[in-house]
Amino acid sequence: MSARTAQLKRDFAGWLWVSPWVIGFLAFLFGPMLVSLYYSFTDYPLLEPPIWTGLDNYRRMLSDETFRAVLWRTAKFAFIFIPLATIISLSIAGLLNGKVKAGGFFQAAVFIPTLVPMAGSAMIWLWMLNGEYGLINMSISRAFGWAGLTGANWLSDSKWAMPSIVMISLWSVGQMVIVYLAALKEVPDEMLEAAALDGMGPIRRFLSVVLPLISPVILFNVVTLMIGALQIFAIPYILSAATPGGDPRSMYFYTMYMYDNGFRYGQMGYASAQAWVQLLITLGLTAMLFIASKRLVHYRA
Amino acid sequence: MSRRTALTAMIAGGLGFAAFGPRGAKQTADGRIVLDYWEKWTGHEARAMQKIVDRFNDSQKRIRVRYLTTAGIDQKALISIAAGDPPDLVGLWNYNVPQYAETGAILPLDELDEKGEVRPERYAQGFRPVLMHPDPYTKKNRQWAVVNTGGVLALYYNKGLLREAGLDPERPPRTLEALEEANHKLIKRAGPGTQSALERAGFLHIEPGWWSWIWGYSYGGKLYDAENDRSLAASPENIAGFDWVQRTSEEHGVDATKTFKAGFGNYDSPLNAFLTGKLAMVIQGPWLANVITAHGPKDAQGRPMLDYGVIPMPVIESQLDEKHPVGLIDCDIMVIPKGVKRPEACMEFMAYLQRQENVEAMALAHYKNSPLAVSSKAFLENHPNRGIRTFDSIAQSDRTYMVPRTRAWPQIKDELDAGLQRIWSLERPAKDELAMIQKRSQDYLDTVEAQRTQRGYGRGSNPTRGPAT
Repeated sequence: MSARTAQLKRDFAGWLWVSPWVIGFLAFLFGPMLVSLYYSFTDYPLLEPPIWTGLDNYRRMLSDETFRAVLWRTAKFAFIFIPLATIISLSIAGLLNGKVKAGGFFQAAVFIPTLVPMAGSAMIWLWMLNGEYGLINMSISRAFGWAGLTGANWLSDSKWAMPSIVMISLWSVGQMVIVYLAALKEVPDEMLEAAALDGMGPIRRFLSVVLPLISPVILFNVVTLMIGALQIFAIPYILSAATPGGDPRSMYFYTMYMYDNGFRYGQMGYASAQAWVQLLITLGLTAMLFIASKRLVHYRA
Repeated sequence: MSRRTALTAMIAGGLGFAAFGPRGAKQTADGRIVLDYWEKWTGHEARAMQKIVDRFNDSQKRIRVRYLTTAGIDQKALISIAAGDPPDLVGLWNYNVPQYAETGAILPLDELDEKGEVRPERYAQGFRPVLMHPDPYTKKNRQWAVVNTGGVLALYYNKGLLREAGLDPERPPRTLEALEEANHKLIKRAGPGTQSALERAGFLHIEPGWWSWIWGYSYGGKLYDAENDRSLAASPENIAGFDWVQRTSEEHGVDATKTFKAGFGNYDSPLNAFLTGKLAMVIQGPWLANVITAHGPKDAQGRPMLDYGVIPMPVIESQLDEKHPVGLIDCDIMVIPKGVKRPEACMEFMAYLQRQENVEAMALAHYKNSPLAVSSKAFLENHPNRGIRTFDSIAQSDRTYMVPRTRAWPQIKDELDAGLQRIWSLERPAKDELAMIQKRSQDYLDTVEAQRTQRGYGRGSNPTRGPAT
């Protein structure tokens, strides 16, 4: 057997072993993506064949008030949620990184909420945020009742809907905490000791040594958070359905509108166009983050 | 075993599984046709249908029906039909008919029903329009569905609470004027002023909030002009209906109501506001009797104790005609999707389901009224809802209404749901909100009409192709 034949056989065997993934990727991800790209240029009511309409779906977004409203609401959510989630998870990781008694227990406690299914989590929060019997309002009443504070109608009052969704989303930052904790543990002690010897206080050490060293991990988490925030769906979908009487539009986000267009309104072409715009927005923002990271993120050699 | 043999065996196994693996058999071992029937019901509602399916399977040797409870059934049905692999029968909701009929996703029943077993004339007057929709190409009205279980809305009132408020429970409010007066007397608060906490509400348009759009109908209005494909959301009657919503909201207090309502439990629970006496009057279907029986207060013998009455939805004085009550028809339907292999077998099962004894058995099990033109004496006497005769009389009325018959309805309803909340919260005058809803609704109607026109069956187009069959 020649060397070339042996190499070909090895290549073939390699492709054969990865073929389940390749076939799955082509059939269930890449293929549908291409098809949805085609649908985005059509009028496709799902039960009838698509008809080519060019850029009509993309043009329609410009004059669609609901589209603008959900885009703005989703951007607002991402803008509030990403910094808060980053600060909170980094702070918790910082606390857990010290010499904490029963540190393992606290790590598990922080991580467990991420294991709770979204639907279950939404139902728990539905009761926690109940305007009359909810734990949150009862706690506020007990603690601040003397000042006239009794809480809010968190889910049925449109102005409190966004803070409620942010609060619920922050409950499951455990995964990020674990990633930050791992990164913090990787920071070499000798560098911190050297910084201390140079006269740096704890805040300066954190800002000038720790933060640059874990900046690749922060970038990773921020990108992941951004993708998740732009795709927010399950929590508001369940909460708005389970809160009859609340303003259904105060918890209406981009992906929910896309889903409605595709599967409830019979506008699969328009929904596909929205999916592609969402992908482009996500790619654009990710690219911006990576460009910014060139100056802000430090990779150790 | 060598690596090559293992790999070959795995590939062969995979291919064999794909080619010959388990799949939904369409024929039993003894040669019976298998029909898959997707339905939305679970629990006791599903068990009631399963009993009838079992009886059908035992009654003949040709067809075997498999009942499958399916969550999110309208979306799954849509996708399966679009993919060309639909179930044989699907249970949907009445508002699905226009979308499925216009796009040719379901089969018209008038041709399949050779024996005339499910003809519209068999159904109560109020239910007949639900089954019909114009064929997209011939524009002729055709039958596309049968009613699986029928529901009609009416006003429930708690007699004890009416008595406590100084009202005569035997003379409940039949007009909106009387309803507003009763409402005023029934509201109970912890203190003076609309800011103080509510302890009891009279009638709330936002509870349970399932029918956000019906208030103009009590003033003689409607939401949609099917003939001209125009939205009528901002008609004077609808404005009057939603002004009434705002008057009720002002009377109860917006913030007080939101806090009060947050304490209402789930509909199907002992914390249902009507059961706990937090709400004296509520618009509901006959199925509320199921919740009352299951979760309401009971006497020592376990019999429901809640003393309630049922009357047709109140209307303004000028619209009142007790012999021809007004009410919304809201029902479950059954259809045969396009692409099924044995439509005649589907029709046979459908006709069996629509026999009076089966329709009434289902209606009894689901605590609903019968959709048929004639109800048996035993059905009316044994029904667990004490207001069943009221529901039956509404179903027979020529003044019932239903969800506007347009494919754009899901979008229009979402606008109305959001609009009701803004109107109830006094964020905007009803007139302004409805004007905006009308504009948006018309946009949705126009988009759907553009889709129809592109496919050659718009309003102005001549029917050039055959019907959807």
